[in-house]
Amino acid sequence: MRDKAIGLGYSHHVAGKVMSSGSQSALREANSARLLTAVRRFGGITQVELADATGLSPATVSTIVKQLLAAGTVETRTTTRSGRRAQLVTLAHKSGLLVGVHVGMRALEIAVADSGFNVLANQTLPLPSDHRLDTTLDRTALLTVELVEGLGSTTAEIVGIGIGVPAPIDPQAGTIRDQGLMKGWGDVPIADVVSARLNTPVAVDNDCNMAALGEARFGAARGYRDVLYVHSSYGTGAGLIIGGELHRGPRGTAGEIGHVLMDPQGPICRCGSRGCLDTLVGVQALIDSLRISQGPLSLGDLLERASAGDPGCRQVIADAGAAIGVAVANLAVVLNPEIVIVGGELAQTEDVFLEPIRAAVNRRVLISRDDTLEVRRGELQSLAPVQGALAFAADLAHVTAFA
Amino acid sequence: MTAPPLLRMQHISQSFGAVQALIDVDFQVNHHEIVALVGDNAAGKSTLARIIAGVDQPASGTIWINGEAVTLSRSAVAQSYGIATVFQGLALAENLDVTANIFLGREVREHGLLAEEYMETLARGYLQRLNARIPSPRTPVSHLSAGQRQCVAIARTLVGEPQLIVLDEPTASLSVSQTAEVLTYIQSLRSLGLGVVLISHNLTDVRAVADRIDVLRHGRLNGSFTAPHDAYEGIIAAITGATTIRH
Repeated sequence: MRDKAIGLGYSHHVAGKVMSSGSQSALREANSARLLTAVRRFGGITQVELADATGLSPATVSTIVKQLLAAGTVETRTTTRSGRRAQLVTLAHKSGLLVGVHVGMRALEIAVADSGFNVLANQTLPLPSDHRLDTTLDRTALLTVELVEGLGSTTAEIVGIGIGVPAPIDPQAGTIRDQGLMKGWGDVPIADVVSARLNTPVAVDNDCNMAALGEARFGAARGYRDVLYVHSSYGTGAGLIIGGELHRGPRGTAGEIGHVLMDPQGPICRCGSRGCLDTLVGVQALIDSLRISQGPLSLGDLLERASAGDPGCRQVIADAGAAIGVAVANLAVVLNPEIVIVGGELAQTEDVFLEPIRAAVNRRVLISRDDTLEVRRGELQSLAPVQGALAFAADLAHVTAFA
Repeated sequence: MTAPPLLRMQHISQSFGAVQALIDVDFQVNHHEIVALVGDNAAGKSTLARIIAGVDQPASGTIWINGEAVTLSRSAVAQSYGIATVFQGLALAENLDVTANIFLGREVREHGLLAEEYMETLARGYLQRLNARIPSPRTPVSHLSAGQRQCVAIARTLVGEPQLIVLDEPTASLSVSQTAEVLTYIQSLRSLGLGVVLISHNLTDVRAVADRIDVLRHGRLNGSFTAPHDAYEGIIAAITGATTIRH
């Protein structure tokens, strides 16, 4: 605990104190950098707090802030602290804030970025497995306000909010199509509800679609027009990019590979059919298979143990990869993508999960005859759905601006 | 071959005069586990927490830590077994700053003098670890918001490398963002292998992170629920007494 604490965040303070480079300008630059690091870390911080946080004198802080203001790097505004007036310093951001929201099965994640997609603030809130719509949307709105106000901004500066949810979204109605999945979520026009709460344009889509969009704009799918993106988390889904466009289908359910048929005699899925892929690779199936030998595990436990080398956990993940590989191989034969990108929590185990998918895909002679079809892990990793939601928000803002 | 539980309590009873605060309660926490203790006011949750912290001694019952029978006669004894507690009142010294509060009673000394800079460094580290938005570890605690004070109280638990952390209403009066910090922190404690006892009225927060939820009602254990299988309604029924376990 001792060494870890020293490693955490102390080094830049030590570095400041043993600064030996002679010139004035080098010192000024180092102090400037230290100050900016503190502003970045805290989102919005007063000049007095900056002096405390950086160890610089209030006079030095004042001088540097004036320089950064002139350079357009920071902004200041008056605020109160402990009943006194204070100058709040924030990073200057290009006008217009974007908000990306990922409502996951077990967590709510929100990121606030500027129109250049620089993330200014973000937060993750753990959620119960059957979290209810009203509570979660309330918290989404409250958390968005808190993050935005922590930056010294207001919700009026938000130009668009993108929300990814773990279910298919009907593009016409804006509601979740698959009622059985999440309690109390059916028939609520999610985008309209959040939009009314925050008085900003909001768009909702399935979270695998968001993750695919994220990889297409910022990650591993850049430069490709035909991508099969697979997202394996509590359930498995796909985002289909065909001819440069995300393919949703008229009812928004395109990409639901968790419900392709794997075994006609298989167990009944929550969607009502038998033998869906999710009955084999959904988190419940994975954890149940380890219950006798390892007791009840969370998805996080399973992944940690697999990465640490536990053979039982590795086997479960590899088997999931093999099953998903069959579905992905079939899809690849039909869609002829340029690349397959794999994301979601299960992909954290890297080759344990990816190799079986790779093998299944390239066993199809039709696919591997001329060239190997690359199966790659997504670059954005756990941030893919939120970053996709930011891109979605940006698209919405441009559309709204011209409406 | 499984390791013994981190904390095991059996047949714990406690009375305050004529009031029976705890009646024959069994309670257990394993390493790498978050157990929530829920129930109405006066169900006995804080009483049990005080016994775990060594502040009070039970009228009867046995306590084992890692399989070894122990008597938690004073809070210092509990701390020596690696039990750290954050009570609802937070017990922070208003006239002192963040660093002094974090190390209160466990100040680091070098050659007899307080190692101020070293403690300040550690305090900075703990605050960063908790993502607490407290820019300076020298801020007087009286200047902090409710959520920031909660972070300082929780940071105190990091001193001394605990194995079990007891948190009494850690998310009460916190904003959503601060609740998120605290819950994420609680999850990271579990990942590190610690045991966590979480006492809370907020069932949503509890069900977001707990492996098991034990319900106390009128001093007795009235159900043990293993999230995520067990429904919210079942837990409420156990708290209010709509369902009762036969004793």
